[in-house]
This record gives sequence, structure tokens and C-alpha cells, in this order.
Amino acid sequence: MQKLFRSPWLEVNVMLTVMIISCVALALITASAETQPGEMSGGALWGWLFGFFFLSFAIALVAVIGGIGGGVLFTPFMLAFTPVDSLIVRATGLIVAMFSGLISTGPFMKGGLANLRICVFCAAAYGVGAFAGAQGAIYVAEHLGQTGEGLVRLALGVILFSLAVYFLVGGKKIEWPEVKKVDGFTQWLKLSQPYYEVSLNKVIDYPLTRAGWVVLAIIGVGLLSGFFGLGAGWAIVPAQNVIMAVPLKVAAANSGVLLGMGDCIGVWPYLLMGAIIPIFAAPWLVGQVLGGLLGALILIRVKAGFVRYLLIGFMFFACFGLLTKGLGMLGIIGAVPAWLNGLIFIVIFAGVTRSIIKFTRSGS
Amino acid sequence: MNVPEMPQMPRAQTIYGAIVYWVTILSCLICMIGPVISVASPDNNVLDPYKLFNAIFEGKDAETVWEEVGGDFPGGHFYLKHLTYGDGFTQLGLALGCSVALWALIAAAISYAADKIYFYTALSLWVAGLVALSMVGIVGMH
Repeated sequence: MQKLFRSPWLEVNVMLTVMIISCVALALITASAETQPGEMSGGALWGWLFGFFFLSFAIALVAVIGGIGGGVLFTPFMLAFTPVDSLIVRATGLIVAMFSGLISTGPFMKGGLANLRICVFCAAAYGVGAFAGAQGAIYVAEHLGQTGEGLVRLALGVILFSLAVYFLVGGKKIEWPEVKKVDGFTQWLKLSQPYYEVSLNKVIDYPLTRAGWVVLAIIGVGLLSGFFGLGAGWAIVPAQNVIMAVPLKVAAANSGVLLGMGDCIGVWPYLLMGAIIPIFAAPWLVGQVLGGLLGALILIRVKAGFVRYLLIGFMFFACFGLLTKGLGMLGIIGAVPAWLNGLIFIVIFAGVTRSIIKFTRSGS
Repeated sequence: MNVPEMPQMPRAQTIYGAIVYWVTILSCLICMIGPVISVASPDNNVLDPYKLFNAIFEGKDAETVWEEVGGDFPGGHFYLKHLTYGDGFTQLGLALGCSVALWALIAAAISYAADKIYFYTALSLWVAGLVALSMVGIVGMH
């Protein structure tokens, strides 16, 4: 019982209480509201606000555990199933992507699962790449049009597919990468930082390597992120894990922190142009914060293999989207219907669920 | 079960985490209360919430939504002039959350500087500078 009055459960409880009071107040106000023709009824308005919050909460739980931004889930689904303008969806998607990362920052930093030095090191590179990418997007839009974007998306899809396959066959080497030689530059950076791994009940000190190469990779990720306006968690995690040998759980935690940090740069152009509409975005933000906080508390306790399967699933789904979009832009195939996207999502995540159950039963 | 001795986290890291965490929670609480104020007094808004959602679900772009529902877009920092408005108060919560990395990175940079870790001081200030420039509309990622 005392646990409920100590951080982090205290703030979770305060937020839940305010949330419940707000929901009840909104229900009472909207139920008695008299609306004019052409206006939305009070009940419908309450339904949308509460529905957005609930959906956002669910997305945040999955996104934080998978070490990706919720925008990767939010944006394709909103674009596929609602008539909302794509710029408003993209802008709100960025709020979704960044706030689950922001709220998970506190627990990850305190517990040492995330590493601020790695995050700042990567964010410095990510910022440069993303800014250059945004300029590149303007150039390509003006000079190469659909063909250029289609080719780059295809290339990105192929890279992502290769990484997902590598993750599948990589096994424990990826969860806990082995470092044979630490180069001079990485040693000089002093990026390593031991932390207590709850699931193993021991302190993990992880040596790192190839930090110079990770700068180049993160600039590349930033370029693509800035170019397409995509979240970048799906690429930041493997970039740290495969190149710099950051343990997978640490890379996933760093990714959330980095998304929160980096998107503080990316979100302002949308805010300044009015694409983020306060009352529309607010329930998504609230859901991300509550879901993200609970997700972060769970992630600290789960074993790395669980995260790995989720991540592989997300990577394959993102890969399918990129390849079909690329082929569509080149005029090779038509638009992919929403039901097919949904079917692929269900098939992939049925496989993910099966793998997680198998992993949990094996106790490895 | 024996619990091993916990490693000490660097001061800059815990400061960064704490600032981001509490400011994000504050921003979330503001965004919980804002819509209630907004719906309770629809006239006390830049955008009337009862008209707003219809316009959004009709697929109108952001510029049209602001024009048709609110007259005109008053600028991203409109909360500074309309703090008592429901959506103005909500926008304050959004702006606070979207600028949190700036405040936290400045504090982390000070902490790194105090510990004489100058490389990470410079990197923190570099990223904080990017956020600041983005807030005033000079740098945009997407």
C-alpha cells in the first residue's frame, strides 16, 4: 500500500486521478451542452476525446516496450482509417512519437538503463543529419519528384529487411553484443556506463566500440528521418546495437530518450504553422505520457528477448510499408488497400506473439 | 536473493532525467485540464471545440481549420496572449512539453561543466541550441 504513495506510483496515481476527474467533468459538461446545427454533439465530442486518449495509451505501452516511437503505429493507422488531413496526422504523430520517449526518460535515466552521454552524442549527429535531410527533401521534391522518393523508400525498405533478418538470426549476440576490441576514439569518449540489470540481478558494464561509425550512421538516420518526416526509433536501436555494440535493452531505452530529445527540434515547425491543434493533440499527449510511464516501468522488469521479438515485428511491418509505398510511387503497383495492411500487421504480430509465448515458456 | 551494489549514475544524467520527467508530467496535467476548460466555455477559445472536430474530420487542412473555426491562425506562441482560454492553456502544456529538452540540456550542460567534462558540455549546448533555434522558427527538422 505504501508503494502507491511513493514515486513513480505517486505521480501515476495523481495523473490517473486528474484524468478520471477530467473525464467525468467532460462527460457532465458535454451531456448538458446545447449545440447548434453544424456543431458536433456533446456526447460525440466526449467520445472522440476519450477514444483518442485510450488509443494513445495502448499505443504508448507497446511503443515504449518495443523501443520505438508510437508515431510509427499512429501515423499509418490514422492515414489509413480516418479522413484527417495528412499534415495534421504527421504533426500529431510527432507528439505521439516524442512524449512516450519523454516520459520514459526519467525512469531510464535514474535507473541507468539509458545513457545520457550516448544520447547527447547521437542527438548532436541526428540534429545535423535531420536538418540536412529536410533541406534534401525540398530539393528532391523540386527536382526528382515521385521517382526519387520511391527509389529511396525502396532502398530503405531493403536495408530495414536486412536488419530485421539479422536480428532474427543474431540471437544472444545482439542482446548482449561481444566487443573484441575497443578503438581509441570510443575509449576517449568514455561512453560506457555500468547499470543494474533487474532481470539478471547483476550490474552490467558494457564496453563499446566504433563510435565514429555510429556518428556517420546516425547522421544517415537523421538524413532519412528529416527527409521523410518519419520517426527514427526503428533505425536508432539497430544502429547503436549492431555498430556500437550497445546492449539491446540499453539501445531501446536510449532510443526513447533520443526521440524525445531530437523531436523537440522537429516538432516546433509544426507548432509554429498551426498543424498541431491543441484540443485534438492533447488527449494523444496525455495517453502517451500515462502509457509511456507504465511502459517504462514494465520495460525495466522484462527480459531483453521480449523486446527483441516486438522490435523485429515492427521492423518487418515498417519494411512492408516502405516497399509497397516505394513500388507504388514508381508506378509498379497500385495503392495498398487498408485491409491488406491490417492483414499483414495481424500475420506479423501473430508470429511475434507466438515467439514471445515460446520465449517465455522456454524461460531463456 | 542478494542485490548487488547499485552503480552511481552521473549527476548530469539524473538531472536531465528529473527535469524531463517532471516537466513532462506538468505538461500532461495541463493538457488534461485544458480541454475541460475549453469544452466548459466554448466562447473562451480561439477554436470552438464543438466546431473544431467536425472541421478536422471533414479532412480540411490545418490552415483552413484555423481560418474557418477560429478566424485566423494566431501563431504558434498564441498561448502567451490567451493563457485563460481553454485551447490557449492547452497549447501552453504542449509548448512546455515540446521545449523540455532545452531546459534539461542546459541543466545537464551546467552539470557537465561543473564536473569539468567539457566535451559533453559542448555537445549538450549544441543540441540545446538546435531546440532553441527551432522554437523561434529558424531550424526545422521535418
